[in-house]
Amino acid sequence: MERFTSSVTDSSLLYGNTHILWLDQPQVLNNCRPGEFLMTYIGDGHDPLLGRALSIHRLREGINGPEFGLLFDVVGRGTHWLAQRNIGDQISFVGPLGHGFEVRPRVNQMLLVGGGIGCAPLIWLAEELIADDRNVTLVLGGRSKEQIFPSQLLPPEIEIVVTTEDGSLGEKGLVTGPFKRLLPWSDQVFACGPDPMFEALYQVTKQAGSGKSLQGLLEGRMACGFGICYSCAVFPKKGGVRLICTDGPQFDLKEIYS
Amino acid sequence: MNLAVDLAPHHKQQLQLRNPVMTGSGTFSNGIELAKHFEIDALGAVVSKGTTLRTRRGNSTPRTIETPSGMINAIGFQNIGVGALMRNIAPTWARWNVPAIVNVMGESVEEYGILAKRLDGVDGVSAIELNVSCPNVDVGGLEFGQDPKTAAEVVSEAIRNTSLPLLVKLTPSITDIRPVVEAVTNAGAHAITVANTIPALAIDIEKRQAEIANGFGGLSGPAIRPITLRLVWQAASVTSLPIVASGGIANGKDAIEFLMAGATAVQVGTANFLDPRAPWRVLEELTDWCKTHEIQDVREIIGVAHHVD
Ligand SMILES: Cc1cc2nc3c(=O)[nH]c(=O)nc-3n(C[C@H](O)[C@H](O)[C@H](O)COP(=O)(O)OP(=O)(O)OC[C@H]3O[C@@H](n4cnc5c(N)ncnc54)[C@H](O)[C@@H]3O)c2cc1C
Ligand SMILES: Cc1cc2nc3c(=O)[nH]c(=O)nc-3n(C[C@H](O)[C@H](O)[C@H](O)COP(=O)(O)O)c2cc1C
Ligand code: FES
Repeated sequence: MERFTSSVTDSSLLYGNTHILWLDQPQVLNNCRPGEFLMTYIGDGHDPLLGRALSIHRLREGINGPEFGLLFDVVGRGTHWLAQRNIGDQISFVGPLGHGFEVRPRVNQMLLVGGGIGCAPLIWLAEELIADDRNVTLVLGGRSKEQIFPSQLLPPEIEIVVTTEDGSLGEKGLVTGPFKRLLPWSDQVFACGPDPMFEALYQVTKQAGSGKSLQGLLEGRMACGFGICYSCAVFPKKGGVRLICTDGPQFDLKEIYS
Repeated sequence: MNLAVDLAPHHKQQLQLRNPVMTGSGTFSNGIELAKHFEIDALGAVVSKGTTLRTRRGNSTPRTIETPSGMINAIGFQNIGVGALMRNIAPTWARWNVPAIVNVMGESVEEYGILAKRLDGVDGVSAIELNVSCPNVDVGGLEFGQDPKTAAEVVSEAIRNTSLPLLVKLTPSITDIRPVVEAVTNAGAHAITVANTIPALAIDIEKRQAEIANGFGGLSGPAIRPITLRLVWQAASVTSLPIVASGGIANGKDAIEFLMAGATAVQVGTANFLDPRAPWRVLEELTDWCKTHEIQDVREIIGVAHHVD
């Protein structure tokens, strides 16, 4: 839980408005899992004040040892600052935080659905599932082709389905189209994206009368990221209140929306 | 070097703190989470999340927004309720050597009395902090703490119902804090926490609406530190009770500034969100400063800046 500092080993605009940073992987991240996140601190003063929650995007073996990657859309002050970092710059973090995806041991057909930057944590999950000899179909959706993670950077074993709202790449439309088609095939579903996407996925499973587990990584405004401020509340339809940072960010979407 | 301070010298049990560094209510949950990672007993005291008679789910989201060197929150007192706190949390506190203080909020003067009674004699609870910085429906939505008479009534009601030491946490949203400080001192409070968040607003100009669901919220963090510092100074000039400072404290230097303005202890709040080890770090920095300045007893510096008022 202590703040740790890592050096940037690589930084580039990967596609559209989406940036990737690679950093030296400290020991605290040795046992982290897809779906867990880091609070990322911007600058070294008090303005901006709060950390930014970013999912751990990928791990890799770099020239000087293990590295972790962060994949983010440049949307505001914090992500703009991150995109300006150069090789050798230091960034501080707290993590790994939260509960990641839970993969069932004896199932084979894995359906992953990412909306926009929601692909960030799914790509690592897909790699892990491939390494574990499972079948993976990854649905990537976005407004246009600028929002779609480049398929040439993914392991060839992954079956990729792309949807864009403007039809500039793949099928025209939303991820719910291919999701509806692939749901009967799948044994387990993992999703990450904006709230309306989760709601739509849940409605599809409900209409299909499917009892399949549907895990989603929820997003919410966080001040701390580790359970002490109560900023990141989510209210499950059936009552009560949960904290996204410590009870999630992975939730069974049925628990939230039904 | 002595770092110990007493927050309730006028109380029969006193409220001895190993050092002046505490945590702020609502910025440390109930301490259980961080106690798994850091040495909780090293701190001066731990203050609970604001606790009410009944469980509260809190406000809709978004509940927070970052502002320059600060943040605005309207969590809406999400808490498990005093019963669950006593049943599920207090037993853990009882195993700690650090005093745990329960921050309570009532919707009426009577509710403060009921809360005080429920907590009286509970193993693991060392004191109560009365949060009088919430709107009082009986007095037309004004905060209890904005009216000296109502603030004093809350203290008297609590004293009648508990033998625990009582801290009163005042609002900074007031023209002059001194009459309220005097009123709660006369009503028999044992210490005074100065202060809470400052009422504030931020607007999302693209959505043309308030940034947080509740509309208004409370500003906290380094941005409010100079304002709180002045309030601590003013409070110290009209009471002999220990003052606990709360507002923007993020490092050892900040803590010393507040001690010199007249605080006996400090609470680390928003700073915990950027560094879960913040209270421990503040303590280390405070200790180092005292060492390099050859301070034998931290009490030597309390109020030393008060040459003029
Ligand atoms: C668990 C979790 C994992 C995330 N993983 C990723 C990821 O891998 N890649 C990625 O691009 N984004 C991710 N996000 C969203 C990311 O946190 C925001 O895009 C980022 O905080 C924006 O910061 P900013 O300073 O650029 O924007 P600003 O708008 O300047 O930020 C102002 C404040 O609002 C908060 N905020 C702004 N947008 C969001 C948002 N969408 N969700 C939550 N808080 C927000 C910021 O943290 C900050 O406190 C994740 C969010 C959560 C909760
Ligand atoms: C997210 C959040 C929740 C808070 N909840 C409470 C609360 O339940 N009761 C209370 O008395 N004060 C509460 N406070 C106020 C803090 O305890 C503290 O007095 C205030 O934030 C100023 O100190 P700081 O700048 O160090 O945070 C809360 C503050 C924040 C930021
Ligand atoms: S972000 Fe602070 S409790 Fe979840």
